[in-house]
Amino acid sequence: MATQINFDEARTILKKMREEQVRDGDMVVKLWEGFVIHQSHKLGDELWLVYEQVCIAALDCQRLDLAEECIEALKYKFSDSMRVERLRGMLYEADGRFNKADKLYSDIIEKDPTNMIARKRQVAILKAQGKTAEAIQKLNDYLKKFMTDYESWMELCDLYLSEFDYFNAAFCMEEVIMSNPHNHLFHQKYAEIRFTMGGSDNMELARSYFAQAVRLNPNNVRALYGVLLAATNLATVFSKGSKEKQINARYASWAEEQLTVKYKTETGEDQRKDTKCLESLRKLLELSQSTISSN
Amino acid sequence: MADLLLDSNIRIWVFLPIVVITFLVGIIRHYVTILLSSEKKSDLQQVADSHALMRSRILRENGKYIPKDSYLIRKSFFNHEEKGFFNTEKREAQVKNPMTDPSMMTDMMKGNITNVLPMIVIGGWINWAFSGFLTTKVPFPLTLRFKPMLQRGVELQSLDASWVSSASWYFLNVFGLRSMYTLILGQDNAADQTRMMQEQMSGSAMMAPQDPMKAFKAEWEALEISNHDWILDGVEEELTGGIVQPETIYIKNKFT
Repeated sequence: MATQINFDEARTILKKMREEQVRDGDMVVKLWEGFVIHQSHKLGDELWLVYEQVCIAALDCQRLDLAEECIEALKYKFSDSMRVERLRGMLYEADGRFNKADKLYSDIIEKDPTNMIARKRQVAILKAQGKTAEAIQKLNDYLKKFMTDYESWMELCDLYLSEFDYFNAAFCMEEVIMSNPHNHLFHQKYAEIRFTMGGSDNMELARSYFAQAVRLNPNNVRALYGVLLAATNLATVFSKGSKEKQINARYASWAEEQLTVKYKTETGEDQRKDTKCLESLRKLLELSQSTISSN
Repeated sequence: MADLLLDSNIRIWVFLPIVVITFLVGIIRHYVTILLSSEKKSDLQQVADSHALMRSRILRENGKYIPKDSYLIRKSFFNHEEKGFFNTEKREAQVKNPMTDPSMMTDMMKGNITNVLPMIVIGGWINWAFSGFLTTKVPFPLTLRFKPMLQRGVELQSLDASWVSSASWYFLNVFGLRSMYTLILGQDNAADQTRMMQEQMSGSAMMAPQDPMKAFKAEWEALEISNHDWILDGVEEELTGGIVQPETIYIKNKFT
């Protein structure tokens, strides 16, 4: 960050961060305290949005005093706003007073049953307390009502993953893929889950989804490795027949070739040795192919 | 034809008052609307229903991106003969009769009071008090077609079309002050009549899916006839075989 920026620049940066939902609490707090706070009257109606942004940023940095200030200012302006109440709840959360926060969110939900944010915060409380099973339960209840909240499906997927429940995690990931089928990272993650589940069917799915991720973004090296590993596994371990084996070996060698090209073009000399693991994988493949041909 | 000369009293007593009146009425309407507006409470059940419908629609459109088993699981969640969501969820048909539902009634009243009533009253009053004046002239020639638009209330065959009558001036103000309101009252102000009118136009379309059972039935049918065609079938072949990716060509040529 430049040491000398003026008020207008700080304001623009804050606005941009709000729009793009960048979560960099430290930066926001620095900008606010360094450049905006003394001229906050210049912001006009934007001031309230900035207060909210700074409040959440301050909570991220454990600057509870600053968050308290923001909430007081907002509370003074919007005396019975649920949005401000939610901020107060988050302050309690950051302070570790989970029961109080939970009670506050319950009150909000009672007043307005369609308030999605308060419900999600309740899940976050459970997650913060380490009660993963209960958080999953709560999030499932939530998703029964708000089925198209894909952010929550994603979160549920991660919660299941932390419980090693791959079947349900895969289900959640499918929902996320359907919400945005052009995001290669979703495909990649789904493939990784399937890969971890194991078994020949899952491995084939993993190979397909890794391939789809590569197709969507040819620079996705992780997905290329995925194709290589899944195809190698299929060619060596889960053999269904020699034809299948040969096809998978072809996919694997293609992925290996792509990766080698990528490493040659993208990396420096010292990183070349990373390609050793690729070579060993190729040797494994050649071995398996030779066994096929000898049969 | 001799050029017309307007009395300067018309400027002071007709032209400017119309601008001021329309402007002030707009501002008053803005504050009255804020005063009267009641927050729209949406029912949790309705929200959940709309989410379910949306999810089913997305499943129909993007179901091809997930494996067949997963697609069938979801389809049977919605459409299973005995346990499917669309077959078991029973909603009361809430065809609200606006005359019997008091809250709808007051909403409509408020809408009328802030929108239609001032339009009629002020418009009528302006027409009655300031009718028959020519107020101003647009600084460019216009064809005869513009006469009914710009010269409402002054039916003179021989008059040049670029003259504007008082009634037309009023309407020009009603629709033309929008940017002034945005300047003074901020982005989403309630003073703007054109926006209100647009809302009224689309209002009937928005009210249509009020009956969830009907919407469920339609979605059930649409989902029932939709098929699963896995789009990832043969993706590896496409990736490794036929189509060479442009950037790989580039890299190969560069380094071999």
